[in-house]
Amino acid sequence: MSPRPVTSRFRSETPPDRKFKVDDLMAFRRGRGDLVFSGVMACVALFFLASFWSFSGWEDRKLPDGVGTYLLQQVGIVEVEGRLTRFGRILRQGWVAPALCLVILVPAAALNLRQSWVTHRWRKRFKQPVEIRYEAEQWLRALEFVAWFIAYTLAVPVLGYLFATVLFGTALPYRMGYRTGRWMVICILTSLVIVLLFRTGLQIKTPVNIWLYDFLPPGPRGFMLTWF
Amino acid sequence: MEAFYAGLSAIAQPSVLVAIAIGSLGGLAIGAIPGIGPAIAIAILLPATVFLDDLVSLVLLLGVYGSSMYGGAIPAILINTPGTPVNALTTYDGYAMTRRGEAARALSLAYSASFVGGCFSIILALVSLMVFGPYLRDLGALFGQRDILMAAVLGAVLLIAAHRNTMGIATLLFAVGFLIAMVGRQSMRSIDRYTFGVDYLYSGFNLIVVIVGIFALSQALFLLTGKDDDPPEARLKGNLLRGFAELWRVRVVAIISASYGTVMGIIPGVGEFVAQFFSYSTARAMSKEPARFGHGSPEGLVASEAANNAVPAAAMIPLLALGVPGEALTAMMMVVFFDAGIKPGPDIFENNSDFLFSLFIALLIINVLVMVALLFSTRFIAKMVYIPNRLLGCFILLLSFVGVFSIRNSFADCMFAAGFGYLGYILRRLDWPLVPIVLGLVLGSIIIDKLAAGSGQIKTAVDLVNRPVSGTLFVVILIVIAVTLVTSVRRRSTHQP
Repeated sequence: MSPRPVTSRFRSETPPDRKFKVDDLMAFRRGRGDLVFSGVMACVALFFLASFWSFSGWEDRKLPDGVGTYLLQQVGIVEVEGRLTRFGRILRQGWVAPALCLVILVPAAALNLRQSWVTHRWRKRFKQPVEIRYEAEQWLRALEFVAWFIAYTLAVPVLGYLFATVLFGTALPYRMGYRTGRWMVICILTSLVIVLLFRTGLQIKTPVNIWLYDFLPPGPRGFMLTWF
Repeated sequence: MEAFYAGLSAIAQPSVLVAIAIGSLGGLAIGAIPGIGPAIAIAILLPATVFLDDLVSLVLLLGVYGSSMYGGAIPAILINTPGTPVNALTTYDGYAMTRRGEAARALSLAYSASFVGGCFSIILALVSLMVFGPYLRDLGALFGQRDILMAAVLGAVLLIAAHRNTMGIATLLFAVGFLIAMVGRQSMRSIDRYTFGVDYLYSGFNLIVVIVGIFALSQALFLLTGKDDDPPEARLKGNLLRGFAELWRVRVVAIISASYGTVMGIIPGVGEFVAQFFSYSTARAMSKEPARFGHGSPEGLVASEAANNAVPAAAMIPLLALGVPGEALTAMMMVVFFDAGIKPGPDIFENNSDFLFSLFIALLIINVLVMVALLFSTRFIAKMVYIPNRLLGCFILLLSFVGVFSIRNSFADCMFAAGFGYLGYILRRLDWPLVPIVLGLVLGSIIIDKLAAGSGQIKTAVDLVNRPVSGTLFVVILIVIAVTLVTSVRRRSTHQP
């Protein structure tokens, strides 16, 4: 008779801890994809650090001679005789704000990457899933809807706000699976409400050089341009 | 009192009252629909406010802000899904009550607690304005450029400290927001910061483009790539007025929670989550039945709702008094202030005190209006809870376009908003917080401005902190950093990655 598998011998019958903790409200656990994104953020930080020398006004800097001594003098550690550059003149220079930002950004990105790496190793050690395939698929899936947004943006000046909104307000829900007549009516009505609220009611600016409206007689064209 | 009456008469204009009604009822519906939330609604509405009167714009946004949490309690209680993120704790006890067949009781308690919390902080703010108003007029003289600079730095430090478990990430994202703030041509010296020769970047990123991208568009992408929920329908039976009578029995919890909400709301960067955290813990410690917390305790529900509804009025205080927004929604409102030509900050008590009264009176009216509306329309609003998520995503995507394009008719804005939306989507997927980016952008702009504006008075580095206010704020910053470091090191030894 073969021995029972190890997993069944050690199976615990203890119910999970259901005690509620208020800390759960702020709970955070790094998931899959965190390491990749943390790496990207670290690269972005390094890119901006590398760009600092040419895109922050650093080339036009005006610093006193002996910066180290000057800084020590500023906080009262050493005494320097003679006329000194006002600290305010340095703060006013263009490169100061980017430098301040990078002082926060670069170490924060490095520490975050380290923390993410530690978590990744912890997950591997305790046999938790680490592959980012599913997460990467989700990130790629979202690009389709970014494309919808850009397509809608490009369609508005061609078709006008009214037609583009009704078209995309029905086509996108159709793509998402809301295909019955009831849903289509709801989508058309919602699109019309959006146009009436923002364009007709609040007179929000939308593109005016609309190719489709040029086919209309002058009266209706003017009306459509004003209200839709 | 003159300012009070001036504020009251400003509110009495028909257009303002209509804006209050639209904002409140709209906010109620927006709060009740899981997946939208006030931040997204305000992000989309922001560009529209440019075309409206100043006070009308602000009360419209305040209406959305102040009423959404009332609406957010409905799905939290009925289907265990918070309508807005701050209603998360409401699900613990509210949904447990629904499962016991006490949905109407839970809703009634949530409404009454929200009403008490909301009114408590507003009345406190109004009374403080009346009593201390004359003295606050001198506040402007006390606050110089360096003091505002320190207040902005304190806001940043508190924001990061409040993200207890994601402090590293919050710091990183705050710096990203700060970086976005400085892109563009520095007008004083014609220095191009991180423009890389791209024409669009010379004028810098528009705050609304970033806000709509990060909040609205990212949420649209998140909903569109997700799944529709199919929650069971809850039945509502019983009188919704009963909660006020029941609230009287737990009035101490309600008042303490409202006080937490008020205090935490005033502190920049802290907000509703920490207020709820403290009020819920305190209510449980005070309760005779602590074991019921998380399993349908009326006290738990009251603690959560009273605390989060006390925050909106309180959160306006640092924005108005210091010009430093404490969280994303007040940061968005700052845009309206700038458009209106009203500079939030200590001078507002001297120059626009009637405007302050108008805002708080409007908030009070919003609370009363929402309460009345809820008593009569809960059954109708409850149906909005069941709108499919992905359908919402479709329309948030379309609405985001109006939000971005109407600012300056720029397609480049739309493209950059799409980029920020995609970034926000990835952050949402990873459960990284979004607020630090927006506050980094707003507080970063303040820090950049004040560094340059205050530089004339700075001879040595010590001059940054040698004024009474800036010195005090600097000490507070050091204390917050020290306490945060000590607590995080202590927690680290017992915390798994």
